[in-house]
Amino acid sequence: MSDPALTDPALTAEQRFVSLLRERFGLAVDAEPPPEGFVLAREQHVELARTLKALGYTSYLYVVASHWLATAAKGAVPADPEHYEVATGLRTVGAGTHVARWRVRLEMDQPLDSLVPLFAGADWQEREQYDLLGVVFAGHPDLRRLMMPEEWVGHPLRKDYAIETGHLPWR
Amino acid sequence: MAVDESGLAFEHPLYDLMAKMPGLDVATSTVDKLLNWGARNSLWIFPMATSCCGIEFMAAAASRVDMDRMGTIVRGSPRQSDVMVVAGTITVKMAPRVLRLWDQMPEPKWCIAMGSCAISGDFYRDIYSVIPGIDVCIPVDVYIPGCPPNPEELMGGMLRLQEKVALRRAGLKAPIETRPETGGMIRPRIGRTRDAGRDPAIGAAQAQQAFTLDLTEPPDLVAGFAARAEAAKEAAAEAVAAAKEADAAKGSEA
Repeated sequence: MSDPALTDPALTAEQRFVSLLRERFGLAVDAEPPPEGFVLAREQHVELARTLKALGYTSYLYVVASHWLATAAKGAVPADPEHYEVATGLRTVGAGTHVARWRVRLEMDQPLDSLVPLFAGADWQEREQYDLLGVVFAGHPDLRRLMMPEEWVGHPLRKDYAIETGHLPWR
Repeated sequence: MAVDESGLAFEHPLYDLMAKMPGLDVATSTVDKLLNWGARNSLWIFPMATSCCGIEFMAAAASRVDMDRMGTIVRGSPRQSDVMVVAGTITVKMAPRVLRLWDQMPEPKWCIAMGSCAISGDFYRDIYSVIPGIDVCIPVDVYIPGCPPNPEELMGGMLRLQEKVALRRAGLKAPIETRPETGGMIRPRIGRTRDAGRDPAIGAAQAQQAFTLDLTEPPDLVAGFAARAEAAKEAAAEAVAAAKEADAAKGSEA
């Protein structure tokens, strides 16, 4: 890490993370990140995780996907198509308690590159997100359902999931 | 040729032997009684504990309540068990596994649905992944309502099952339990959790303390508690005095 801003001990871990995003990943940010993290481009996802792992963020905390329905334009807010947001969190082990969080926006048919080659702990968490929301992780070695029965149809945590789906044997 | 409980004739070498030898049926009826007593008092449990009802089940099996004294020993294997206690929410994914374990239990076997989730799914009933009660796939003998039922209620359910087993083995008809109605369930309302006799200043002080996260004790809170303790002491003293007076009045009458 040749960049002095990334290893400067005078800065907090959060400030170093923000400067990393600004200088390596071209994000026009200067403030503290929001609690759920900045939104990155889909192609930068694995690159950021790899960089952070080299900086000591070796603990894979979470991946949480959320499904957003299409919204119509309202005043100054433009219309938004149906999409996913996938939030990821990494943490340093031992030194400090800083959590690096970021989000990636995905269109409905876009896969996200899997982090399993970098973090073995991502395996089941990405399977869970695939199972419940249908986010496809490209390069995942074993992308099967984790929680729902194997023959289940649909992804129940999507906003448009019908509540009666899959009840047939019992109702 | 022998006749079974429903009046149908059937052939069995053992019963033919009993019919041939006079007095043998009297001897075996005593053995039957012994066996019935043994079956009633050694209902071994296979715990199908999936959620918080399982915790109450553990409490019932542990030393304080000690369900073992009824002979209901908990076994980890379906092959050694007589009773399956379904304690907890059963999901669609879990139900085939429960059914498989039930099939692995040897006859005769019984099933207890413990808690509202096992009975009807309760408030998980309308979730996409929860089955509406274990009796959609397993015949249930005893329903124990509660969320969760306490260990004593579980013991009461085991006693009901023992009565049932005794009746059935004696050739009598055991009452069939129906699934408890869920329509009349009492749902707590926010207003009912408030205590009418409680000084509202105490609640306000507690809320203030919680919001400010001030670790020093607010004086009005302490004073409020002290005043309530004093009032309770006075009330108790008055009650004791009244009881003494009543006793004295009774004594003078006598």
